[in-house]
Amino acid sequence: MNPVPVQQDPPACSVCGEPAVIHQRHAGRYLCGTDLVADLEQRVAGTIASQQQVVPGDCVAVALSGGKDSTALLVMLHRLFGSRDDIRLVAVTVDEGITGYREETVRSAADLVRKLGVEHITVSFGELFGDSLDTFLKGRKAQACTICGILRKKALVAGAKRAGATKLATGHNLDDEAQSVLMNVLRGDLLRLVRDSGRESSGRFIPRIKPLTYVQEKEIATYLMVQGIWEDLPECPYAIHALRREVRSMLSGIEYRHPGTMLRLLENKKIIETAFSGKAGGEAVGRCRECGDPCSGETCQLCQLLHSLGR
Amino acid sequence: MFKQPPREVVREHMKLILPDRTIRVADPVPATVETILQREGINPLEVMVSRDGKLIPEDTLVSGDDELRIIRISHGG
Repeated sequence: MNPVPVQQDPPACSVCGEPAVIHQRHAGRYLCGTDLVADLEQRVAGTIASQQQVVPGDCVAVALSGGKDSTALLVMLHRLFGSRDDIRLVAVTVDEGITGYREETVRSAADLVRKLGVEHITVSFGELFGDSLDTFLKGRKAQACTICGILRKKALVAGAKRAGATKLATGHNLDDEAQSVLMNVLRGDLLRLVRDSGRESSGRFIPRIKPLTYVQEKEIATYLMVQGIWEDLPECPYAIHALRREVRSMLSGIEYRHPGTMLRLLENKKIIETAFSGKAGGEAVGRCRECGDPCSGETCQLCQLLHSLGR
Repeated sequence: MFKQPPREVVREHMKLILPDRTIRVADPVPATVETILQREGINPLEVMVSRDGKLIPEDTLVSGDDELRIIRISHGG
């Protein structure tokens, strides 16, 4: 008896019946490349519209590291707003000075803005803080992500100000946001958990927007791959020291076994945010007594860090 | 007694190209991509898998002499 031939075709797209490229486990459906691109762009447009993240007259600074998330973000925002006269997009790249890593992503960012014809501003740690991240981290590698995070935040804002931006868009995806919720819980940092960087700022700081908040990392990678925009870039050499790396691996395993976990974490964060509105999370924003930037204490995190680095 | 010459057995092998670009030969018995990834200790949410250059979902059945490329998607920084 001849063996029964094995059916090896991929599952069919739930929308059009073509071979699928992804299983959206949270939605219980399969999508082909074309329908995945349409689905993601529609969901991101929906997030932007429902939260009024971008309004006519805005100049949106798009944080563009050159990695997959920021690349997808710029491509989507360019498709949504690139032909609009009342919305301006400017890509902002921060060169931290990480040898063997950042050179490639900076090149990738430059290639993308050239193809799209988007204005581009690059700021470097050397120019802003006097040295590269590699130098700052000598003897402090375990604190890499904390130090880099504070400096990079400042550098992004500097680039956004240079662009005259009214909004600062970052490529944080659902995985990033869910990891942050869990990390803040693990650290016992309630204030950070309920802080909303997109809140009304009365002009004291540039509000941040995160249009990819409800898109999974794998969806973003697949979105780029099916359009031929995916680049296999190196991993940040300091990532091995990060708590995020451990949380990412753990959460990703849970999400795989229990689809929807990340989304539920985010929804719970919103419930807590609402409950704490005007209380712990709504602490007054003042000005740093040294640099004058908005901060919640007397001295901002950046000035404290620069002192500790002997600057 | 007349001895028969041994029959030539052509055995197919599935080829796995792992994220670090090392190549692993896998059992050609039909299995889903998900099963193969789990055998390698890889969470399907952290990778994309292509067969002959085309992306396939993790519950696609693969076998025989398929060549699978596993692409890691998580990068810090």
